[in-house]
Amino acid sequence: MDLLEYQVKEWFGKIGIPVLPSQRIDHPTDLKRLKIRFPIVLKSQVHGAERAKAGGVRFAETTIDAIAAAQNIFNLPIWGELPEVVLAESQYDANQEFYLAVVLDTAVCRPVLLGSKEANIDWESAGEKMHHVVVEQEFSPFYARRLALKMGLQGTLMQSVSCVVQKMYHLFVQKDLDLVEINPLAVSATGQVMALNGKVRVNERSIKRHPDLTEMAAKIISRHPSTEIDGISGDWDGVKMHGKIGILGNGTGSVMATLDLVANAGGNPGLCLNLRHAFLTDTKPTTFCDRLETGLKILEDDSSIQVILINFLGSIPQTEEVVEVIARVVQQDNSELNSQVVHSNGSKSRREQNFSPLVVRLAGSEFDAARKYLATLKTHTNALLVVENLDEAVAAAVRLAKPTAKKK
Amino acid sequence: MNLTPDSKVLIQGFCEFISGTHVAQMKAYGTNLVAGVNPGCGGQELHGLPVFDLVEEVIEQLGVIDTTIICVDPYDVLDAALEAIASNIRQIIIITAGVPPLDMVQLLRKAEACETLVIGPNSPGIIVPGKILLGTQPSEFYTPGAVGIVSRSSTLTYEVAYELTKAGLGQSISVSIGSDAIVGSSFLQWLQILDEDDTTEAIVLVGQPGGGSEEAAARYITEAIDKPVIAYIAGRLAPPGKTWRQTGTLATVIGRDPNFGTAQSKLAALKEAEVPVAERPSQIPELLRKEIR
Repeated sequence: MDLLEYQVKEWFGKIGIPVLPSQRIDHPTDLKRLKIRFPIVLKSQVHGAERAKAGGVRFAETTIDAIAAAQNIFNLPIWGELPEVVLAESQYDANQEFYLAVVLDTAVCRPVLLGSKEANIDWESAGEKMHHVVVEQEFSPFYARRLALKMGLQGTLMQSVSCVVQKMYHLFVQKDLDLVEINPLAVSATGQVMALNGKVRVNERSIKRHPDLTEMAAKIISRHPSTEIDGISGDWDGVKMHGKIGILGNGTGSVMATLDLVANAGGNPGLCLNLRHAFLTDTKPTTFCDRLETGLKILEDDSSIQVILINFLGSIPQTEEVVEVIARVVQQDNSELNSQVVHSNGSKSRREQNFSPLVVRLAGSEFDAARKYLATLKTHTNALLVVENLDEAVAAAVRLAKPTAKKK
Repeated sequence: MNLTPDSKVLIQGFCEFISGTHVAQMKAYGTNLVAGVNPGCGGQELHGLPVFDLVEEVIEQLGVIDTTIICVDPYDVLDAALEAIASNIRQIIIITAGVPPLDMVQLLRKAEACETLVIGPNSPGIIVPGKILLGTQPSEFYTPGAVGIVSRSSTLTYEVAYELTKAGLGQSISVSIGSDAIVGSSFLQWLQILDEDDTTEAIVLVGQPGGGSEEAAARYITEAIDKPVIAYIAGRLAPPGKTWRQTGTLATVIGRDPNFGTAQSKLAALKEAEVPVAERPSQIPELLRKEIR
């Protein structure tokens, strides 16, 4: 989950990273009660990149200018997203601009400090301009000084930049971040540093242990359709493709193997969800069955999905309930599906009749009873297939997704 | 790695990922499960195991513990593992999925300093078919034999075992090192264990996109492994994961290949190491047969 700039700056301010005086604007008329001094810059608070290029950043000298600019920004979608908030901020006279980041490198299993004497660098050639320090052991400020010296800084500037890095690192650990970035960190003629823009990516696995983040996530979920959450969160637990066959599995590897098999058999995989972890949309603790129910609902609500392929083998928690969840869907008892999922207002969520055919692959003796029970369910043609062999299940799903078998 | 039926095993925590069925299965398999630790439940009995509040109480009463299986809530994993390390337990299997990565960073620093083997998180553990089960691997898919399996994915580990068993190829040791972003033990460690294991004649390595462990494994196979190895990589057709500024950037800025972490880079490395790669799980027995004869 990515935070918006104004949220990042609130955090920066609290932890002592220098930020400019700023004010949150919820409506253009808020600018009449502006507490910061002109000239100001107005910035659209959206998740998409390149907002400056898109016209989401404007400068203003007077209240009238500012209101006009804000009206403009509030009505300007960036990558399809309209801002709910605009940030008004004082302007800053920068002499130099740097890039700083703390990021988790999952390959060496350690955080890495990054720094460059150039801001807004071209990522293609970043290798030459970017310096890095791996935080091997417990963090201590010398790691930050090591980075600053690698960047070629000296004296008080070396001290003030490493001090910012140190605070970024503390924020990184305190809030379980995947990334904290300052781009640019401006340096004034007198050598004072200032974080002009910041980015924070929160690790999804940790959101629920931070009450403030849980609240932010809940707000995002209530405001945006699930498809947008995917974009905002950055990493939904699953794979998003645009084909007709939705996949539910119990583990990343299994989901990916199923996806490969479907594609190799000539099918088009659609949204693939891993049910082993809680979804970002789950604000309370969930069980495997809750996630199965949610997963099925998400796939049923996805208009591009024509067939749902479930691949379970081996140890699935709550086997008996799993079968009940599947049976309920097949029996089209839509009313019983607690819609835990996001919006129930959408046009595409109401499709009581004709559920997508389900191909259920259940392997192992744990599922013996389940297979027998599902086989006895009287359903209309093609709505449910229970298979033990994975290759066969995939072939069946691909066959059902062919245009002639289109059921929706 | 002590994988004998006499090694004493503890379970820390009982959550969604472990059930009474798993515990019964482990016992039936001959695993020497001695106790459980569930804070607040000391003195009770759960799934047929005496329960304690602290790991050190278990050791006081039952003596040295060889392996602990951690199944607590994701946010309590770090604490449980540190508690086990503090009680001198040197083999830790973490079943719980979704442990915050920075907790794992902290745990790995400690485990490295104390020479503790950490398997997982998000791992179903280890099975030596016919001998011992440490974790939640479904034993029904396994038969004793000569193929070692090392994998990064839980369910795919059983998928491969299932295919092998159906084809009449038994297994020697099967381990899933876990599919969270940061895990303890590596492919290299397990390739070495399987290479040294007398019953293992051939090895199946199961990988997926992300990280560089398959590439490192490929190099290691060329240098140090004498037994035949077959690989399978899932997720070849999956779109690249959305990591920071797309997959390559962090790699590039700190001097790695821009293809770092992709299935393609893993396949290329395995090809260079002349490791046969299966197209799908059901093709693995066929490739193995060519290698072992």
